[in-house]
Amino acid sequence: MTRDEIHDGICRRGVITLNISGEGKEDASRVEEKRRDDSYQPFTGNLNAPSHREALRSAKLSALHARLQLPIKLPLQTLARCLVDPSVDPRPGYNNEPLSILGQELLGYYTAEWLMTKYPRLPMPILFAAQYAYVGSSALSAMRAEWGVEAVAAPGPEVDPGLLQLKRQIPGNAMAEGEQMRIKHMPQARRVGSGRRNEEHNYRRGMSSRIVYDDQFGDLQTTLPVSTSDDTSPYPSAPISRPDETTPFFSQDTSSEHRPPPSDWYLPAQPTYEDPTATTLEAASATFVRALAGALYLHAGTPAAKHFHTEHVLSRHLPLHTLFNFAHPTRDLSRLCAREGFEPPVARLISETGRLSRTPVFVVGVFSGNDKLGEGAGASLNEGRVRAAAAALRAWYLYSPPAEEIMRPSEVEGKAGEGKKWKSQIVDIGEVIT
Amino acid sequence: MAPSLFSSLLRPSTLPNDTASFICQACRRNASSFRRTRKALRVKPDPSFAPSKTEPTDHIIFNPPSSAPNVYHTPSKFLPASDPRRKLHTLAPSSTTTPPSTPSTSSPNEASASASRLRSIRPQYEKKYHLGREQIDEIRRLREEDPRQWTRVRLAEKFECSQFFVSLCCSAPAVKKEQDRQLEAIKRRWGRRKTEAREERKARKALWGRDA
Repeated sequence: MTRDEIHDGICRRGVITLNISGEGKEDASRVEEKRRDDSYQPFTGNLNAPSHREALRSAKLSALHARLQLPIKLPLQTLARCLVDPSVDPRPGYNNEPLSILGQELLGYYTAEWLMTKYPRLPMPILFAAQYAYVGSSALSAMRAEWGVEAVAAPGPEVDPGLLQLKRQIPGNAMAEGEQMRIKHMPQARRVGSGRRNEEHNYRRGMSSRIVYDDQFGDLQTTLPVSTSDDTSPYPSAPISRPDETTPFFSQDTSSEHRPPPSDWYLPAQPTYEDPTATTLEAASATFVRALAGALYLHAGTPAAKHFHTEHVLSRHLPLHTLFNFAHPTRDLSRLCAREGFEPPVARLISETGRLSRTPVFVVGVFSGNDKLGEGAGASLNEGRVRAAAAALRAWYLYSPPAEEIMRPSEVEGKAGEGKKWKSQIVDIGEVIT
Repeated sequence: MAPSLFSSLLRPSTLPNDTASFICQACRRNASSFRRTRKALRVKPDPSFAPSKTEPTDHIIFNPPSSAPNVYHTPSKFLPASDPRRKLHTLAPSSTTTPPSTPSTSSPNEASASASRLRSIRPQYEKKYHLGREQIDEIRRLREEDPRQWTRVRLAEKFECSQFFVSLCCSAPAVKKEQDRQLEAIKRRWGRRKTEAREERKARKALWGRDA
């Protein structure tokens, strides 16, 4: 066995290098494919998902490919693979999980850089909320529905590969089999988490902890395998290092012209896949959309992935000003003015009507010196004052530099010699803390 | 006068005197006053909706209703020093001619001139920072000695500072506990309507900090 084949074999079992190459050029290397398949049959359970060979014959898949105006470089087989949820096919080389991990990072990166350069003063909680609103699972799930991608009622090898393949979770309100309890009241297995300290129920999760420990939305990481302690098993099929052991796998390779791979590479025993856990339609939809972004990046490169993000994510309208909720707007505003060296804010009555009636309206403006910072209307002078202060704070946080000044890091990434020069962007000192 | 008196005597429930006093005399229409009333109610439309004398052809009328300023339109004070729009905003007040197409709401120079003329809704005061260590100790001593005599309000008056500052200096937990107990007793006497009304008011107040 040559080194290339060994390497290929490792890649076949790897997390992300996977069989994109194997499936993409299926016709060209059919013999080799067959030979590889002989040596790689880890999955002994029933095959739940349609074979990738069916992808070329599916009208739904072709229609989806055309409807989304995906580049020709993205083959239908990969699109079919994006629709296979890990709950149906647990083999990482055949389901969409590796692609979705990549896609999640890409979508998160493009959204975060867009938000941070367009609204440089957004406070951290708003940033998290906006990130979730753009690329969170519920938004991606809505996107899947808008694209017209339907989900299977139940997975199986005979269903159309153009449907989202998932094994649905039984609703918590359903009665458990052979029990007198609902599913949600059954003692549950421990939730798989990252095993970090902040997941303990009594841990006080502040904003700093959310930034450091949690995912891109500031939520607990729930999908990571436990990997912090040494005795836990690594990700299935990931190469692990065991320097003491001599592996029979490499001992066959005795030819001197091929330098053997580092001796600490060890292929673990073929993973045995348990019955995969069921998932919800929302989670599976989000995984599909993320996987599609990842597949676009791998097949068609950065421009295609960015185009996909602009067309499908940034085209969604998010009213950012409704995300704010100030507990003490007047106090925050006076702190802000003191911090920035403005005159202290003064609330002045701009106009009023019906002061002695049941429904008065006072229009109050907050002024710093002679400049109006914000304006609010309320049924009492106090309400108008607080609303005006909140409006002023919103105006501060929603500042956006002129469109021609905005430049995202990914625009100049790897384009040093192409004449595009990085313009420094505004980095704000942070939100007001009172 | 006589007929109405007679009818109210006959049927006192029709128009008691106190109700009659509320009814607007001018609103009672009859044949003699119909034309006059209609004339009084005829409101002249806004001139911008009348057929234009200067524009012979169809044209767009721009007459937006008054509304709160958009928060995405950053006030010039909030623009960073590097922002080019800052320069535009400072240039704008010097040009006195406003385009005729915008029946101006309030141009920046008007606003700035009128800012000091507008009435402040709360009394303005300068922070004095005049209390030193001895005064603060004195505040604490007085509050400690007789918290009922030297309440927060009285201390604030005596030392010419805000009540908030007094609360930063000292507290009287025993008095606070007793006051809270009294307040709870009062609240327990409230009926359902009053309790609900207070709760709703609190919920409405929580919305002030949001755009709702």
